[in-house]
Amino acid sequence: MQFGLQKGNDMIAQLQKVAGAAFVVLLGSTTLGSAQTVEFWHSFGGESGEALNQIIANFEEANPGITIEAQEVGNYNDIVAKLQAAIPANRAPDAVIMEVTRYGLFADRGVLIDLAPYFDADPLKDELYDFAREVGVFEGKTYIVPFNSSTPVLYYNKAIFDRAGIPEDAPLKTYDDLLAVSQQITEELGDEGITGIAAPGQFARWGLIMDNDSDLIDSTSGEILIDAENTIEAYEFMASLVHEHKVASPDGVTRENDGRDAFLAGKVGMMINSTGNYGRSTAALGDDLVVMPMPCNKVCAVPIGGAGIGILSTSEKEVQDAAYKFVSFAASPESNAIWFSATGYMPINKATPQQPIAADALEGKPGIDVAINQLDFARGRPRPPVVTWMRASEYDMWQAMALGQRDVREVLTEFADKTRAEAERLEK
Amino acid sequence: MKADNPLLAVLALAAGLLFLSPVLYSIWMSFQTVDAYYTGTVDFTLENYQAAIGQYNFARYLLNSVIVSGAVTLIGLAVATMAAFAFARYDFPGGNVMFGATVATLMIPSHITLIPNYLTLAKAGLLDSYAGLILPAISNGFAAFFLRQYIRGIPRALDEAAYMDGANALQVLWRVIVPIAKPAILSMGLYIFISEWNNYIWPLVAIGREDMYTLQVGLARLYRVNPGEDVIDWPLVMAASTITILPVLLGFLLVERHLVRGIMMGAVK
Amino acid sequence: MTAATEARPVTRASHPLRKTRLLRRLTPYLLALPLLGFIAAFTYVPIASSLNLSFREWDFLSPTKPWVGLDNYRLLLDSREFWNAMKVTAIFAVISVPIRLALALLIATRLMSETWVSRLMRGALFLPSVTSTVAIAVVFSWVFSTDYGMMNAILGWFGLGKVYWMQDPQIALWVLIFVNSWKQLGYDIIIYLAGLQAIPTELYDAASVDGGRKFHVFRRVTVPLVMPTTYFLLVISVIEAFQVFTIVDVMTKGGPAGATDMIVNMLYRVGFTLFDIGQGSALAVILFILLIALAVFKSRVLGRKVHYES
Repeated sequence: MQFGLQKGNDMIAQLQKVAGAAFVVLLGSTTLGSAQTVEFWHSFGGESGEALNQIIANFEEANPGITIEAQEVGNYNDIVAKLQAAIPANRAPDAVIMEVTRYGLFADRGVLIDLAPYFDADPLKDELYDFAREVGVFEGKTYIVPFNSSTPVLYYNKAIFDRAGIPEDAPLKTYDDLLAVSQQITEELGDEGITGIAAPGQFARWGLIMDNDSDLIDSTSGEILIDAENTIEAYEFMASLVHEHKVASPDGVTRENDGRDAFLAGKVGMMINSTGNYGRSTAALGDDLVVMPMPCNKVCAVPIGGAGIGILSTSEKEVQDAAYKFVSFAASPESNAIWFSATGYMPINKATPQQPIAADALEGKPGIDVAINQLDFARGRPRPPVVTWMRASEYDMWQAMALGQRDVREVLTEFADKTRAEAERLEK
Repeated sequence: MKADNPLLAVLALAAGLLFLSPVLYSIWMSFQTVDAYYTGTVDFTLENYQAAIGQYNFARYLLNSVIVSGAVTLIGLAVATMAAFAFARYDFPGGNVMFGATVATLMIPSHITLIPNYLTLAKAGLLDSYAGLILPAISNGFAAFFLRQYIRGIPRALDEAAYMDGANALQVLWRVIVPIAKPAILSMGLYIFISEWNNYIWPLVAIGREDMYTLQVGLARLYRVNPGEDVIDWPLVMAASTITILPVLLGFLLVERHLVRGIMMGAVK
Repeated sequence: MTAATEARPVTRASHPLRKTRLLRRLTPYLLALPLLGFIAAFTYVPIASSLNLSFREWDFLSPTKPWVGLDNYRLLLDSREFWNAMKVTAIFAVISVPIRLALALLIATRLMSETWVSRLMRGALFLPSVTSTVAIAVVFSWVFSTDYGMMNAILGWFGLGKVYWMQDPQIALWVLIFVNSWKQLGYDIIIYLAGLQAIPTELYDAASVDGGRKFHVFRRVTVPLVMPTTYFLLVISVIEAFQVFTIVDVMTKGGPAGATDMIVNMLYRVGFTLFDIGQGSALAVILFILLIALAVFKSRVLGRKVHYES
């Protein structure tokens, strides 16, 4: 980036690079102690953001000379879009939070560096749970180190259940169970503007598809399963919640966070969402919050979600080194315990549960362990470049189905074809 | 002023208020606490403005908008007036083509330039900068076209007299043309300023850094990220919206006639 | 439009100094150059560049931009999204423009007088057209929001149920048409006022003497005589409808289910969220051609009308 002005004049650029390298070598000993600033993009606001700031503050205290310039960029989609736009502009950050299924494109295009040289030498590698380590692997190399890991869980509002006359042990196992409970809530409390269930967000949709013994993209073969029978059935069920049975508000279809916000505001009986919402849900609903495992309609299966931190190939080597220190620190038992207990994201480090604050949380925060207990049947998801496109395009498809605009089978058949064509195009 | 039928006047006023009621109510709402808003009570506060200006950085966005719109207006007027003068007073080889190319920009949708301009400014390292917001906005032929029509209506004898006194072209432009064309230039300046103030898609594309947001981008984002933990904090959003509207609103009240005249002249040449 | 018929600057003859001659000959170029430089750099070169990119495949990340011929155009013209966007844009234009113009003309005829009420009304109606579109979109997002919005509150007073204004694909486009009309109405009125003021009052008097009633006068005198203004507004408004972006982006993002996915919104989505630069550029080129066609149509029709008028 510092050679930007010399673009088009290779010779001068080369000379400068050599000079720059010589400069670094000459001053090698001093640069070691000199200050580095790591620009870091992430997606955490509110209470999660505060927990992250705490971790950053701890890191800076332990590593004088390294400053983490953290910037909340938006949600995972926003980060992908901003990062992609930043590449031709040469304004990418040094480190970035990337959702576990959407970094493949950037790894494939050489935007993220292979972390193996750092990661293989880092004791952290063996401290991480297998499921957590796996999320960073793309085509045999490690591109992100996990930071926040999640599975979806089912949250419900006990007060609403009580008032709707739903017993605490009502089964919430199958699609039919979900529908029955949602209908009862909507029937009993609809006059107060309370609906049964929040329209499932994309992560929840993926979870409900897995429960139906299917997937969007096969986790081992990478085959596109958008138009598989069980996927179609799952979407038909989810769409019917909004369109046919009207037990989920369309507000949560057009703006997915609205569904969650309505649940937090006590306007919705239950929602399926990432365990990362545990912290803010208890803050909003207190003792009324109950956390349940995901339904198991045909099988019990949940997707592993969340994100990890990758490092950009455009950054200077010294900055990359500093960035990795932070990446490793953020996954350490101490940091991970802060993060877990504040947000509800799962522990990724085997030593985390022994940390005092994590142990306290496991002891005193009911339901925070539901996601962890689902790990027995959790599945990693593949992350070929096309997933970025697929996830960005899925929202419109879902809207068309959930709002009853188009036939589910027709939409998914067409979407599957387009995804396959896009996958082929991306591989060229 | 003529007197109106009082009944008609009252009806008309009521209709006007009804027409503007969403905006008027949003301004009212911006002075309410969020609790008062959701419980339907009245509780005046300035906290929303404090939050918008402080925590949500709208003071900075306001500054950015003022700088960008101001610079676009000044530079835009300067280059447009010079070009208009050339087109109105000189007959020079290529002049017709140049004028044609200028007028044609009125028909060209700016959206076709979105991706290439992004790439150009990316290469120049000017994204996330004031220059990156200002420069592409100057590329608009409307002001030059409009001013050229106006300048052509100014008697040439006036230029002539100044040239006889030994003035050069720039001096004639500055001392003779500009003072006479002042109303037109002012109208155009207002028009450019308001257009740029309200410009959305280009800053949306060109700006990534939060502290470089203009008011429009900042407001759209504030609304989108849903401030407030569970229910959306509408009073805060409306305070930000009022900050976005207010400068132009005040300007409008001051200079409505100039503006309306400018638009009329621009439309019905 | 051309300067060809103008007399040569008299200044040349009256300024005999030879050494400044070259400078004087260069003067118009120097004066026009700054503006033309900007226009070339940020309008004309980008058009060529868009055309070039529309034949290539690129995602901002790959180091190469392979040539794919007409593939991007073919993919676009085969896609449901493109035709949906065209349809939505066309509906937007066809529904909103005539209603708005009719309303604007009716109101304008009522606001001709110079009383304070009519001046105040003109100001009130005109205000939205200079107000920030983002702010208007945000305010109307509240007006039409499901749970706490003004519209549903009003419906509630009458004992009517909630309407999902921006979530129902059957309704959302109407909401946008309403908001856009609300914003643009004042502009149309101002232009009509200018047109109306140009009509000689004798014509009205003549029509009245003929015993014409108010509506008769409006239909037989006003409407035909403001026809050139109507054509101007019609074409301007259609061109503008093809460029609507801000209210869509803030209020609906093109949803629900593509119901408000107007063409520029699609361009933004394809270019800056899916980063299909080739298809985004192809879409930009198509939009460009469409609007140029409209502009040519405008100058033809307007040209003819002006001719007819004189």
